[in-house]
Amino acid sequence: MIRTLVWLIGAVLLAGIVHIVAVIGVPRFAVVDPWREIGAIAADEVFTRLPRALPGGRSLPGLDPAMTHSACRFSLDRGPMRIRAETADAYWSLSLYDRRGLWVWGVDNRAEEQKPIDILVATDVQVAQLRETLPDELEDVVIVDWPGLEGFAIYKILVPARSQEAEIERVLATAKCGVASFR
Amino acid sequence: MVPVDRDAPTRCPSPLRIARVRFVLELLATLVIALALGLASAWYMVDAPRIGIGVGAWKAVPAISSETADPYTRARIARTGEIALGAGEGVVFIAEEDDQGGALDGACEYAVSGETPTARLWTLTAIDGEGRLAAAITGRVSLTSREILRDLDGRFTVAVSATARPGNWLPTNREGRFRLVMRLYDTPLALSPGNGMVMPRIERGDCR
Repeated sequence: MIRTLVWLIGAVLLAGIVHIVAVIGVPRFAVVDPWREIGAIAADEVFTRLPRALPGGRSLPGLDPAMTHSACRFSLDRGPMRIRAETADAYWSLSLYDRRGLWVWGVDNRAEEQKPIDILVATDVQVAQLRETLPDELEDVVIVDWPGLEGFAIYKILVPARSQEAEIERVLATAKCGVASFR
Repeated sequence: MVPVDRDAPTRCPSPLRIARVRFVLELLATLVIALALGLASAWYMVDAPRIGIGVGAWKAVPAISSETADPYTRARIARTGEIALGAGEGVVFIAEEDDQGGALDGACEYAVSGETPTARLWTLTAIDGEGRLAAAITGRVSLTSREILRDLDGRFTVAVSATARPGNWLPTNREGRFRLVMRLYDTPLALSPGNGMVMPRIERGDCR
């Protein structure tokens, strides 16, 4: 009886270790993380309109079907990324996600009012370099300190009515992302 | 004369040998149980958000941010490829059951009624068991707070049904289970238990 109990306790302890190893191991061996999913649909360093979520259709999971989305996958190894976009009257939000698909930073129309979006994503080192000699044109730009090198941006706008779809597509198409160049 | 095989096993194994076989069997059983238990519990926790605050039939998915995400959330996102709402963006509520505790079924009709926490905008969507959008007959797959019809006191009722309904109607799949997803954008809502959050009731109507 006691012998069985000892074995059972051993099994539970070992199960705990298996549990922890499995959960921590999943992100390392994942094959469908958001980063790869976006790479399969869109080219890097350019905003690409994501397919509208449709029943049964292939789109990225988790997107709100009431919104239109545009995504840009980026890497900071060639310099900081500048993201610019016009904004719409309807609800919009620009969110930045890290390599693992976790949200890092975002802005929506509550914070920015009707100013166009203009942000610069840079690593610690790049931020430090920029602070040394800040180009004039960057004075009004929001600088986002980026953990790691890779990430992606999602720009989404609500489509309040079918009639406004064309205008919202136009605003979405103004979104630009690319390696920042000064002067 | 028949030769005697001296090395032939004896009929009666020695007690030491029994003990050894028993030990190996017990060790194997323990390893199998540990592996099954560990993997099954990991699968359960990663498969869907399990830690969250419930309001009626709704469960809030905790805000996800790279700084605060727990290992289960990290694993779930890596496995599903899901692009979640960020911490500053809003709160997502998911309902898998009605208020009576029955699983939401495409064969039935539901009334989602009442009010939501304060938010600048909310959207309501039906997804199937695999997380895809529920196949609707019309092109419409979501309802937003902007297009909804309300009572004079601001309350609303949405009919969730596979067949068309007058008033606020959210189409859903004809067969099988589904889940309701309510996304609240720009909400001052603080997710803590017992802060008087109000979410709409989900009541089952007729079934086919």
